[in-house]
Amino acid sequence: MIATVFPLVGRRLLASVLILLIVSALLFFVLHVLPVDPAAMSLPPSATIAEIEAMRREMGLDLPLPRQYLIWLSQVLQGDFGSSIHFRRDVLGLVGSALPATIELALLSMIVATVLGIFGGLMLFHVRGSRMEPIVDFGSILLLSIPEFLWSLFFILIFGVALQWLPFTGRLDPDLRLPQGTGFLLVDALVAGRFDIFWSAMRHMVLPCFALGIAFSPTIMRVLRSSLLDVYQEDYIHLARLRGLSEWRILRRHALKNAILPTLSLMGVQFGFLFGGTLLVEVIFSYPGLGNLMVDAVRNADLPIIQAVGLAYCAVVLVINTVVDSLYLVLNPKLRIR
Amino acid sequence: MLIASDLAVSAALANGAVPVIQDLNFSLAPGRVLGLVGESGAGKSMIGRAVAQLLPSGFSVTRGELLFDGQDLVRMPLDKRRELLGREIAFVPQEPLSGLNPVLTVGRQIDEHLARLAVGDARTRRARALVMLDAVHLPRGAELLGKYPHQLSGGMCQRVLIAMAFASRPKLLVADEPTTALDVTIQARIVQLIAEMQRHDGTSVIFITHDLRLAAQICDDILVLYAGRPAERGPARRVFSQPAHPYTRCLQLSNPAMSGPRRGLYALPERMPGLSALKTIQGCLFAPRCPSAVGACARALPPFTEVDDGHIAACIRITATAEISVPAPAAANAPKTGTPLLAVEGLSKTFRTARGFFRHDVVAAVRGVSFTLHENEFVGIVGESGSGKSTLARMLCGLDAPSQGTIVIAGRDVSDGSSRSNAHRRAHVQMVFQDPQSALNPRRRVASIVTQALEATGKVDWEERLARAKALLSEIGMPPEAAQRFPAQLSGGQRQRVNIARALCVAPNILVADEIVSGLDVSVQAQLLDLLMWLRRARAFSMLFISHDLSVVRYLCDRVLVMYRGEVVESGPTIQVFATPRHPYTRALLAAMPPDDLSAAWPPQSLEIEAAPLAGKAVEADA
Repeated sequence: MIATVFPLVGRRLLASVLILLIVSALLFFVLHVLPVDPAAMSLPPSATIAEIEAMRREMGLDLPLPRQYLIWLSQVLQGDFGSSIHFRRDVLGLVGSALPATIELALLSMIVATVLGIFGGLMLFHVRGSRMEPIVDFGSILLLSIPEFLWSLFFILIFGVALQWLPFTGRLDPDLRLPQGTGFLLVDALVAGRFDIFWSAMRHMVLPCFALGIAFSPTIMRVLRSSLLDVYQEDYIHLARLRGLSEWRILRRHALKNAILPTLSLMGVQFGFLFGGTLLVEVIFSYPGLGNLMVDAVRNADLPIIQAVGLAYCAVVLVINTVVDSLYLVLNPKLRIR
Repeated sequence: MLIASDLAVSAALANGAVPVIQDLNFSLAPGRVLGLVGESGAGKSMIGRAVAQLLPSGFSVTRGELLFDGQDLVRMPLDKRRELLGREIAFVPQEPLSGLNPVLTVGRQIDEHLARLAVGDARTRRARALVMLDAVHLPRGAELLGKYPHQLSGGMCQRVLIAMAFASRPKLLVADEPTTALDVTIQARIVQLIAEMQRHDGTSVIFITHDLRLAAQICDDILVLYAGRPAERGPARRVFSQPAHPYTRCLQLSNPAMSGPRRGLYALPERMPGLSALKTIQGCLFAPRCPSAVGACARALPPFTEVDDGHIAACIRITATAEISVPAPAAANAPKTGTPLLAVEGLSKTFRTARGFFRHDVVAAVRGVSFTLHENEFVGIVGESGSGKSTLARMLCGLDAPSQGTIVIAGRDVSDGSSRSNAHRRAHVQMVFQDPQSALNPRRRVASIVTQALEATGKVDWEERLARAKALLSEIGMPPEAAQRFPAQLSGGQRQRVNIARALCVAPNILVADEIVSGLDVSVQAQLLDLLMWLRRARAFSMLFISHDLSVVRYLCDRVLVMYRGEVVESGPTIQVFATPRHPYTRALLAAMPPDDLSAAWPPQSLEIEAAPLAGKAVEADA
């Protein structure tokens, strides 16, 4: 298995380095087009023009742009993303605490989307040709056409405000303190044995995860349904019936394994979108992740943060794609090296 | 064992139920082999599916019964029938490669089946699986169990499926065209294997095939179907040697002979009525195409007449059947001698296949092939899949660049691959592809498809192209209205005609035809072979005809090249090579063809040939 995946991961790593370089250059140059002067922003409003000029020189802003980029890049490679202009804090620390929160949110949402997608897909497949089909089909299209921020608002209104079942701001109840550790709250809470924190964090995750998961599940449903329909045309399914296998066993042992492959590659693409989709949901639920950090940074023209967050989004999507492709390789014997 | 009495299957169409199978009666005794013979659409497979009651949706048994061991399969509850399937009644499919699940190892699939048959624990089942693989002559069973289906050849997959089918020592085996997708030598061995297993276990077999000759060789009884109704039924040898129904006789005559002088083919006109047409025919379903039909045939469905003991036919003019004959083929233009039109010298093609990061394997698909093709000459290339036939054809047409050697077409060496060489080549050589379904763009009309070569010049306007298309269509025996149709609106035979017309558009001197009649019914095949013979006289062109079917090559070609593992191992005048083969491989190929003569034992007991796989992609010499 390792022999199968290794060449792919190797090639992907090379490509990822290149992609990250291109994205970093894009981020750097595009952001410098903005009419923002970091030197002026880092001084009090009372500073004189001379003081600002001195600051500019000190920050290296008088150098040619490519030079500036190379300096920034070499610092980034050493792990120095600079410090935030607005928060006056180390960017790496800010991103480092927000990134795990967003990854946690995205992963749980993906699980929700996968579970709903697979069950929905099986249901869509099950009702094929029956009178229920148009109804279930209509339902899936309805799900498909509602975006995640609308789900967020519905959920807040119904479960948060009207029924008051679940909290809908932040990551934890206000009287609980964040435990130290990896930054992955659920993991940290379990490691520390603090089940109260784990429970509170889970309750805070339910609404945003379902908002995102439900919004992303219909595509999975529909692809799974259509690949199941394709697989059921295959001779080996027919032959399995002729061998006297039950329909349930045919679905479980023979059809699902084949139908999951196209669904899996779709999920890889979907996860990229879902990770981007966390931004709106985080803002709506005041969830302290990358999205909120990004929005704050954009509002304050906080260039170092925007750059770092942009790179973080890019890196996560690359990693996820590599993982999904490796999984595809492991599950599809035709692609394995003999 | 299995008795069908008055069985009828109907399809629910928009305008009412249409009988797909009717008046079906047969009884299959234990240990006997019944051949179901007919062209596609005759309802052969439908009978196989009726046994399992797994009919396509909308199809149902409307009358009669199908008794298996005294129990009616049709009215049996699902659970009970499922108990029989795979245990008492086993199936061998047409496409072995798609009959196994691609994501499960062979071992897992055999194990699943044995587990259902309640064979002991995992270790017992594994031991049993090894015994099974050994029984179907698959070597290195332990290794095989860990392999995935795509790592095996078609013949090996079919052996695995046969092993599974016989695992429960079934009373009945339904083999639906089990050898159609396989090479002739493999076909012979698979047939041999089924016969061996069947004799060992005393299994009754329903053998579904389109090949009357094959059925005559291996079956005890034959049932010939036409449009869902039995045309003739009787002992295999008798049906083959003294067919009573005109359809059986025509089927036989539409297949080129493997011995004796070259005789003409009987090309049945039109085609079998489709589902929607079935309702409109009043009398005998075969009457519209029948050479001995008289007025009375069209008035009422003919009753079954007993010709001999156990030999019946549904025809009112049985005595006229023996008189159906075909004229000798008109003499073709003799090939010209002198400077050859095409001269190939030392042609080779090697492929590099990746193997890990830096390493690669070199695979020789074609090795040092030399031959010539004269004006007006038809040369056949025969060999099994993987022998390099198609690669050779692709190189001649410029679709693949040769690794070595020269191709001289009409006095010009075109192997340098320059654009002028290619233009020269295109003017002289055109290719007809194997599968018209994928060779014809489904979004274009026939007129546009057949004149694509003119479109490439950019100098011909649409009016002229349409006129040219209509002329071409009339030449290939299709009505001018067909010009406005899409490929999906044509039948398989018509599509292949259009495919040929497309190649003929620029009036090439050389046609390279890659398996253009395989996969077609014999009556359509005979129509197409007739067309090619007619075009040969009318057009005066040369052809390289690639085929795995030796009888077709024997009928059509002046000379033949036998290819084996990328090399030409034997060549010469077709009749001579086939009558006195010199190379062991040629002899093996010929021995694997079911002969016309029923007195010789077939398949021969010793078939000492190895399959010729294209190395690299498949290191899978069949057992």
